[in-house]
Amino acid sequence: MDVIQIERLEAFYGDMQALFGVSLGLRAGETFALVGANGAGKSTLMRALVGLVRDRRGHIRLGGEELIATSPEQIARAGIALVPEGRQLFASLTVEENLQMGAMNRRRGPWDLEAIYGLFPVLRERRRQMAVTMSGGQQQMVAIGRALMANPRVLLCDELSLGLAPVIVSQIYDSFARIRAEGMSMIIVEQDIERAIAVSDRMACLLHGQVTLRVEDTARVDIDALSAAYFGE
Amino acid sequence: MILRILTLLLAALVIGCAPLLLDDGQLSLGMEMLVTFVICAMWNVLAGYGGLVSLGHQAWFGIGGYAVFIASNALNVNPLWLLPLAALVPALIALVLTPLLFRLKDAYFAIGSWVLAEVFYILVQRSDALGGITGMPLFTGGMLGASIYAQVFWVAGGLALAVLVLSYLVLRSGFGLGLMSVRDNEVAAASIGVNVRRNRRLVYAVSAAGVGLAGAVYLIPNYFIQPGIAFSADWTVIMTFVVVIGGIGTLEGPILGTLIYFAIRQGVTDGLGLSGSWYLVALGALAVATMLMAPKGLWPILRDRLHLDWLSVRRPWPGRPDRAPHHQAPAE
Repeated sequence: MDVIQIERLEAFYGDMQALFGVSLGLRAGETFALVGANGAGKSTLMRALVGLVRDRRGHIRLGGEELIATSPEQIARAGIALVPEGRQLFASLTVEENLQMGAMNRRRGPWDLEAIYGLFPVLRERRRQMAVTMSGGQQQMVAIGRALMANPRVLLCDELSLGLAPVIVSQIYDSFARIRAEGMSMIIVEQDIERAIAVSDRMACLLHGQVTLRVEDTARVDIDALSAAYFGE
Repeated sequence: MILRILTLLLAALVIGCAPLLLDDGQLSLGMEMLVTFVICAMWNVLAGYGGLVSLGHQAWFGIGGYAVFIASNALNVNPLWLLPLAALVPALIALVLTPLLFRLKDAYFAIGSWVLAEVFYILVQRSDALGGITGMPLFTGGMLGASIYAQVFWVAGGLALAVLVLSYLVLRSGFGLGLMSVRDNEVAAASIGVNVRRNRRLVYAVSAAGVGLAGAVYLIPNYFIQPGIAFSADWTVIMTFVVVIGGIGTLEGPILGTLIYFAIRQGVTDGLGLSGSWYLVALGALAVATMLMAPKGLWPILRDRLHLDWLSVRRPWPGRPDRAPHHQAPAE
């Protein structure tokens, strides 16, 4: 059974509708990539899944439990964690405090401070430093670590590579192997199509708030079909 | 830690013995300093840690005072025994009003809280039962006897120490961390499971309760309460200026700010012989200068220069999994 089932999801910002009936399923342990042009609704979908876009309709089921009408804090406790676009670290807190914030909901699981420091050793060296004074890549590590500390059943990553040097992005994606080894199910939003294909098992393309293409096996992607779905030809 | 406890014991000793050495005038001034510290510390918890800038905190000062005056007169009970009401009534009113007040954000919240304070002020002014604009006496004031200044000084001292210790403990707890995370980044805090609204309501109510207590303690030895004084916007002016000068978002800031405030007030009024509100002009000028030159306030500068770290709330994580078992994931 799918870990997350999204059915006919619609999301609104006031009068403006941003998602028009998106249906997707995430299988246990897989990495699912969302691609699409700017404004296609990828970030809205992520934010709607964790309840940050409150005005939403349809169904979001986590292990069968309906979350469409639940608050962000309840969704966090139910086990969906978001690594938000732009990292959104806590400016007055240290690296370690930022990580500890992730454990607010006290879910049990393999991810604790030791495990995060094992994944990103540089964070251990800098754990007393204010998180926002570090480099972009290190901040992204804190953001990922903070989300993992919640021991979610599903990890959402929104544009991890935004504003980072390619070599740093590679380092960050290298850590995914370890995260996947713990059995984590993930949905990632990624602008870099090649990277999205490389790290994911399946993928979908969004355009104007709708799914325009589903790829069931990223080892066999029809680039022409993807291009059409991406640009809407 | 031992240093902190020793300082605290010393402070308690000084407050305990002070009435043996000081006359009533000095005790009254001392009580005023302690009360000022309390209201500034409570405003700082709300603004500096909770990120909620209230410009209407005089409302809780007045409500706390009126609650004790009304109850003491009606029940004919020593007003000091009724002080819990000065915390309870403001806290309850705050909890009832927050769903409305929290619809306003940032600057709108600041103005909204001010409007709310004015509403309470006008309501009390218009109430004949409460003596209207002239106010009402505390008929039970005589119960305190001749040592009233010493008693009120002790209560204010106990309150000040309690506020300091409790703020320190709470801010070092997981709740404190959650509070600061909401101030830093509301969206990120919500997305990792912090109940933003509940945290804010709680800290707002606690802040109102502390200010209400301080208001009652300050007003009791006057034997008289007047809306113009109890609900004076000056209280909030003092809170903001003291906290901005001392250092917003630090526990030591309000202590330093309060000392500076009284130094300026006594210096301008007694030293220079300038009467009226000139000391507030001086305080405002210092606040503006601080905002321009040291936006974090004076304590952080002093701390870094002298390498002091007395009441910093940087903490080892106290999170215990037994705290909230119902939040744990079902076995998978």
